[in-house]
Amino acid sequence: MEQFLQQLTNGLAVGSIYALIALGYTMVYGVLRLINFAHGDLFTYGAYLGMTLLTSLALPDRLGLVAGLLVLAVMVMGLVAVIGAILERAAYRPLRDSPRLSAVVSALGASIFLQNALMLVYGARYQVYPDVLPQSALEVLGLRIPILRIAVLLVSLAMMAALYLFVQKTRVGTAIRAAAIDQDAARLMGIDVNRVVLLVFVIGPALGGAAGLLVGLYYGQISFTMGWVYGMKAFTAAILGGIGNIPGAMVGGLLLGVVEALGAAYLSHSWKDALAFAVLILVLIVRPSGLLGERVAEKV
Amino acid sequence: MNRMLRTLAALALAAVGSAGAADTIKIGLMAPLTGSWASEGQEMKRNVELLAAEQNAKGGLLGKQVEVIVEDDGGDPRTASLAAQRLTTKGVVAVIGTYGSAVTEASQNIYDEAKVIQVANGSTAVRLTEKGLKYFFRTCPRDDEQGRVGAAVLEKSKARRIAILHDNSAYSKGLADEIVAILKAKKLDVVFFDALTPKEQDYSSILTKLKAVTPDVVFFTGYYPEAGLLLKQKRQMGWNVPFIGGDAINNPDLVKIAGKEAAEGFRFLSPPVPKDLDTPEAKAYVVAYQKRYAEAPSSIYGVLAGDGFRVVAKAIEGAKSTAADKVREYLTGGLKDFPGFTGRISFNGKGDRVGELYRVYQVDKAGGFVLQP
Repeated sequence: MEQFLQQLTNGLAVGSIYALIALGYTMVYGVLRLINFAHGDLFTYGAYLGMTLLTSLALPDRLGLVAGLLVLAVMVMGLVAVIGAILERAAYRPLRDSPRLSAVVSALGASIFLQNALMLVYGARYQVYPDVLPQSALEVLGLRIPILRIAVLLVSLAMMAALYLFVQKTRVGTAIRAAAIDQDAARLMGIDVNRVVLLVFVIGPALGGAAGLLVGLYYGQISFTMGWVYGMKAFTAAILGGIGNIPGAMVGGLLLGVVEALGAAYLSHSWKDALAFAVLILVLIVRPSGLLGERVAEKV
Repeated sequence: MNRMLRTLAALALAAVGSAGAADTIKIGLMAPLTGSWASEGQEMKRNVELLAAEQNAKGGLLGKQVEVIVEDDGGDPRTASLAAQRLTTKGVVAVIGTYGSAVTEASQNIYDEAKVIQVANGSTAVRLTEKGLKYFFRTCPRDDEQGRVGAAVLEKSKARRIAILHDNSAYSKGLADEIVAILKAKKLDVVFFDALTPKEQDYSSILTKLKAVTPDVVFFTGYYPEAGLLLKQKRQMGWNVPFIGGDAINNPDLVKIAGKEAAEGFRFLSPPVPKDLDTPEAKAYVVAYQKRYAEAPSSIYGVLAGDGFRVVAKAIEGAKSTAADKVREYLTGGLKDFPGFTGRISFNGKGDRVGELYRVYQVDKAGGFVLQP
């Protein structure tokens, strides 16, 4: 039982990162029906920019730990959002009316470009974050949970909740939802679809960048290829929850993390990915559009 | 990138003042310049290029200049087979590399068919030299030797419950199997044997599982990025079981990733690290390397690639020919106790390096790698 609970917390922490990245996939897909394969790399950019800003500005020393990290997070999210917006302008908008395959190829190309650009700037070595966060842990019911792990989970959940409220409760959010349902109809209603798309490419990458920063701060070790594994897992999470659906991405991410952790615990660590994908296949057989995906034929 | 390298190589050649630039002896280097082992690959390239420049300054080989042709294998078997095909069509006499065993394995047959000498520098999987490939050599030792040393260390540590963790790669699984076979033969208790997935960042689930079987010691046969994270996360869990690792963990970045506190006390097997190379040649070489690249070599596998280049150069000189059969004959017969940077080098008929190379290292408080007596 103790092991079960410990693994559950392990899984939730990893899953919350997956969920945060999955939001970027799902938002872009919801509006454009495009899988943004470069999203995993934007996540990596978040991690690298966070490291550079952290070491060069030393914000936690100047502003105190919490305020410093908050400012850092805002800066990283802003910068990655700018990269996301440029990506949309340069790689996706020119192909908006082309066949969907062209956009997918462009996305893959953008991913390779971003990844190698990062390698040329930072070198191929693993990079390491400076130790700024306390390494202490909470002891609850015989469980030992690092405080950072709880923080990662809470920060992710807070960001997901904020996004959900933004999309559901504000006028801009309504515009995003309208564009996701039918771009032409949205345009007729006076919604500037181009701006909506740009906004989606600002919010998604900002969240992805924040996830990158969290991973960097928590795990300490980052590499220019790390976006691949996380991107693939997050993409899986997005499909699991129903791609195009924001709560679905959160549920999918957390579920995937937990399934992996429990799979590693009770089967074998080397089988955990297989188990995660088996769950995905099972879910897709029963619900082809994902756990929370709408059953709308033309959406799939 | 590649074009730039080639231009640079051409410029370097021109600077040395070679008259017949068209008529050179081409030696290939296949290294993971990108991908997750890129730092190893970049060092391999530095070592081989430095040695080639030194060789050319001394007049080259058989009166010709040496040209190093670098191909990136990306640390990936598929990329490696393409790289091998490109190298063989460029008329290389011999190829140095590469690092990972699975990657080397993907290229072995291509070189063998093209009759190109291959000298791997980091591929320790046993079966690479058990296939009867005529032109394959390696300057690194084999995993069965490492397995013997590893099992001996475990036996000496008096640990009663031993956990073995690998990462399912050809090297890591091979080494883990070797160790387990020896431990079982000695009736020692292996309480855990499982693999993790490399390139992830969260290993808390496997650590939690490991902790539940209460081992006295954990032997991890994988690579340093994962080892660093394991040590760090083990400390976060507040678990202080001793960890031991194999030779793929020998990289200073281990301490950077894990942090000094978490890495302290960690032990690993390895050929001697560059700073512990004690022959006069090796010391002079480290100085020359430092002069050219403004930092000391940090990876032993880069130096082993350098040794690979030197034995090939020596064999071409000794055989007075670049024909693969003659070079092979010299390497297996003529070359005895060649003073390599990493110790004396001789090859047996299989292409394996003869002699014991493994030492035990421990990470000290300051994060340094200290050779254990």
